Amino acid sequence: MNDETTIIRVCMGPGGIAAGGKDVLDKFSAILSKHKVRAKLKDKCSSHKVGCMGLCARDVLVEIEKDGSKTVYQYVTPEMVERIVREHLINGNRIAEWLVDEAYERFHAKQVKVVLENCGKFDPEDIEAYKKAGGYTAANKALCSMTPEEVIEEIKSSGLRGRGGAGFPTGQKWEFGRRSPGNEKYIICNADEGDPGAFMDRAVIEGNPHSVIEGMIIGGYAIGASKGYVYIRAEYPLAVERLKLAIRQAHTAGYLGKQIFGSPFDFELIIKLGAGAFVCGEETALMASIEGLRGMPRAKPPFPAQKGLWGRPTIINNVETLANIPTIMRRGAKWFASFGTEQSKGSKVFALTGKVKNTGLIEVPMGITLREIIYDIGGGIVNDKELKAVQTGGPSGGCIPADHLDIKVDYESLAKVGSIVGSGGMIVLDSENCMVNIARYFLNFTRLESCGKCVPCRIGAKRLLEILTRITEGEGREGDIELLESLSHDIKNSSLCGLGQTAPNPILSTLKYFRDEYETHIKYKRCPSLVCREIISSACQHTCPIGAEVSAYTALISQGRFDEAVQIIRKDNPLASVCARVCHHPCEAGCKAAESGGKPVSIRSLKRFAMDYARRKKLTVPVCREGLKDQKIAIIGSGPAGMTAAYYLSLKGYDVTVFESRRVLGGMLRIAIPEYRLPKEVFGLDVALVESAGVKFRKGTALGKDITLDHLFKDGYNAVFIAIGSQKSLKLDVPGEDSKGVIPSLTFLEAINTSKKIRVGKKVVVIGGGNSAVDSARTANRLEGTEQVTLLYRRTRAEMPAYAEEIEAAAEEGIDMQFLTAPVEVVSRKGKFSGIKCIRMKLGDKDKSGRARPSPIEGSEFVIDADTLIVAIGEKPDISFFGLKGCRDIYVSEKSTLVVDPETLATSRPGVFAGGDVVTGSNTVIHAMQAGKKAVESIDKYLRGEPLEIKYEVTRPSRYVAPVELTDAEIEEVMALERPEMPMLPVKKRKKNFREVDLGFTEEMAMNEAKRCLRCELGTKDGQKALQEMARGKG
Amino acid sequence: MDTNDQLEQILARHIENEGNLISLLQDVQESFGYVPEDAVNWFSEKLDIPASRFYGVVTFYSQFHLKPRGKNIITACCGTACHVNGSARIIEGLKRELKLSEGEDTTEDGKFTLEEVACLGTCSFAPVVLINGKIHGRTKTDKVLKEVKSLEKASGKAKK
Repeated sequence: MNDETTIIRVCMGPGGIAAGGKDVLDKFSAILSKHKVRAKLKDKCSSHKVGCMGLCARDVLVEIEKDGSKTVYQYVTPEMVERIVREHLINGNRIAEWLVDEAYERFHAKQVKVVLENCGKFDPEDIEAYKKAGGYTAANKALCSMTPEEVIEEIKSSGLRGRGGAGFPTGQKWEFGRRSPGNEKYIICNADEGDPGAFMDRAVIEGNPHSVIEGMIIGGYAIGASKGYVYIRAEYPLAVERLKLAIRQAHTAGYLGKQIFGSPFDFELIIKLGAGAFVCGEETALMASIEGLRGMPRAKPPFPAQKGLWGRPTIINNVETLANIPTIMRRGAKWFASFGTEQSKGSKVFALTGKVKNTGLIEVPMGITLREIIYDIGGGIVNDKELKAVQTGGPSGGCIPADHLDIKVDYESLAKVGSIVGSGGMIVLDSENCMVNIARYFLNFTRLESCGKCVPCRIGAKRLLEILTRITEGEGREGDIELLESLSHDIKNSSLCGLGQTAPNPILSTLKYFRDEYETHIKYKRCPSLVCREIISSACQHTCPIGAEVSAYTALISQGRFDEAVQIIRKDNPLASVCARVCHHPCEAGCKAAESGGKPVSIRSLKRFAMDYARRKKLTVPVCREGLKDQKIAIIGSGPAGMTAAYYLSLKGYDVTVFESRRVLGGMLRIAIPEYRLPKEVFGLDVALVESAGVKFRKGTALGKDITLDHLFKDGYNAVFIAIGSQKSLKLDVPGEDSKGVIPSLTFLEAINTSKKIRVGKKVVVIGGGNSAVDSARTANRLEGTEQVTLLYRRTRAEMPAYAEEIEAAAEEGIDMQFLTAPVEVVSRKGKFSGIKCIRMKLGDKDKSGRARPSPIEGSEFVIDADTLIVAIGEKPDISFFGLKGCRDIYVSEKSTLVVDPETLATSRPGVFAGGDVVTGSNTVIHAMQAGKKAVESIDKYLRGEPLEIKYEVTRPSRYVAPVELTDAEIEEVMALERPEMPMLPVKKRKKNFREVDLGFTEEMAMNEAKRCLRCELGTKDGQKALQEMARGKG
Repeated sequence: MDTNDQLEQILARHIENEGNLISLLQDVQESFGYVPEDAVNWFSEKLDIPASRFYGVVTFYSQFHLKPRGKNIITACCGTACHVNGSARIIEGLKRELKLSEGEDTTEDGKFTLEEVACLGTCSFAPVVLINGKIHGRTKTDKVLKEVKSLEKASGKAKK
């Protein structure tokens, strides 16, 4: 029996409109008006636009109410409408793949809709729908059966506080208005909503304008005002239109005008448009604007309640405050006061935006925690990145860092941490946002919006901005932070109005929690979030530990100038052939081509292409040594740190000798990285380059055994750089670990890489999750005698530190990976190693770092049979001989690392420096190379007798490559390019051999990929100047 | 309708609606696309209000423009949510594409005006750019530039 009406609601709140809600609605109307469709639906179907449904991120949202149940579809486009009508409306089958998922339920679960109760439920242009939902009954009750004093009492006991940001108790404000003597009073609705990032008021006025009108009628009655103004910003044309219509409708219905509801109360409502001035959100400026003047605030007292608009008593309330009134009057103050906290009753609407998954409009009970808002309602951070801070209160507010997530959101609690609730803008920031940049952003805004009347704000805000600008452009000075603080306090204390008084808040708040970020910008000229353009130039070069000029060589590759590209690469990187294959590419993690869902440029593969080209063409790099010096330097260790230091020190003219304990050079590069990732001959090219720079090598000579520091200095060495790495394998600490058949991964890999004999059985088990573990597993798998390789890791695949592509390859090559498994005991049978007893793990609660901690599942032990167990759980440095005869006076840490000055790498012994894994513990190749470069600077200064103080500079490329002019068609082509997959040796061709797996890009692939580079370095002032000069040079 | 008639109509509306200087100037801008100097002088005479008062209001509120605007209006939002999601790069790209120098918002040929505004109220779709009133949400530099290029009549070469 189908007497039921089907109702289609299309979200056309701010988000819905932006996502194309009108087109969707029009499509529904068009299809529903087709004769055939109308017949099938028996004419009982109507489509409506509704106000904000909340989860703007999923717009266009469409709700179908049919046969008493509601279904919501997400991301609806006009193309989807036909199928929805056919399958769902006519045939009664919901379309599963288009429905909202449980994230939508979770989004709403913790919300409480008071102001937004009817937003999204009915057409905002339909006054009858508003009435049906109980609209105007509250006004009726107030005007006809309550005195103004009773109304005020009710609002007072509700505990409602001003929702515009200041949080002043509304009932009390109305009482002031009531008590003020005067025959003509005004009530004003502040709908200026100037905070960037706030659109709550917009959604309320567009989605349920009558609620605001009704609130104003009640408010006007309470204070004794017969005229009300809505001051609404001109930038909200749709809201203005809806409000105008609603006022006309209310008039027609008799809710505005004379003797409303038959009571003696008259009330007129007039709309006044703003004209684009943030300061007009301040009440005295707002009133000046209504009077047609420049919106400049004046001193208070007198307060508007005594002397306001045209000198008459005036009460100004925010849109959300007024929209709460009808519901409070209808359901009672006690009801409203039943949620919220002691001092902050009721609910608050927030605009949740920024780096959170579920962006949109939410209404939550006061007192909900920030964690619940961000993670339960907001769904967590986009791409599951880490939360850095939450910015609340707009330009007047502050940033709340991640470790305050359990704070209750209410007026008092937020004030305690240095922020404010504000009007409701809540912007989520992640590690890619720079807090200094955010402070500068807000000061830029407030400076522009300052009315100019008082000196502290007009000039003070400008000065604050100047200082912040200098800091973000790499010209920060010692004392800037203190100056920002004292200036901020002065401005807060002496500004005329709230704009000036709160303008310094973003600075004070970010300094409170992110002071180190400011210091890093000022002292080290670094922006860790890779935002401040004048400091970083391009993110790739800035974040590369050795400062490789990625932008230059990428541009050259894109233009086919491979020889030049090789020269640029080699200038900064003597181990480029190695890095091109094994670097963990932090440059790609920072690449801006990955913004907005794109993919980073394949920088490492481009480097590989260039180095392979150099190898094919037998390109040599001219090695230029400066004037030869007679000072001798000893480098201990021929790993990446030692090789890099040796190369550049030798180029500087010093007499450099590298002491290597093994018989082969390279450290971990040579012994730990398998040949299928880094062929010996390729590594040999880099060693050859270092040799060609004049570096001498002494193999088979170990520090602490064959030589000591004292020996070296006695032999005439003037400085020593210790770069012996971190190569002492960590133990599992399980019983039976010393059995034969249990091998540390480093021992295993070294044996294979140096063709030493080592016994490996048929069934191999590898324990660990890093690159070493995966390298060991894939290597073991390639040995003739191996039948099965199993890898055990105590966490999940997603948490494995090894490179994703390595893990992928291991899976392809048939390695059995078991996750959430940890070793318990090494098992033997008849004295021989026979296997490993393991236990299953489960992931528990997140610890402070945000990672889930694994814990064993009781009783889940089981045994894996094996002949060989390779332990790959990490290494630590061997510093046992420091402190013994010959190697004294070197401080070591409890973590078994050498202690050095972090900036100069000087140890506690004069003339002795150290860097790389021996200082940091196991780290990456490129970080070791960075240490090598730092050592060069320090040792050079030391030997010249200069102070070791490091001078820090902003990042710039040494040359700018002129861009090539492209036609429009060529630009189209480039925009369509996608990051290519690395061509790889097919799996079956990798069996039981060590042939290189990654094959490298072709020339076409490389040039195309290089074209995707956004040329960020051209965006700095220097870059722009260079561009102009290059253009002039051409013409 | 000639300019004088337009102005008379605006004046009539102003009186009827009991408007203030702001609403009057908004009406002028609505009709002419900007606030012409001649219009200010005309109203100044008619209403016996010094022209300086008008200019005081015009220069205070950002909605008003004293110069004609380009044929195509690009409104790039630089509100907080948009800023946090990379609007600065998009705006930079637009300025470069339109070859606008410091302080300029309209191209020399009068084809484009680029205005940066502090918040459009569509924060969920950051970054947002309005091109001739049409909303482009969750957009990227290259997408926006593509739109702009197709609006550019000349098929000039562009740099890479």
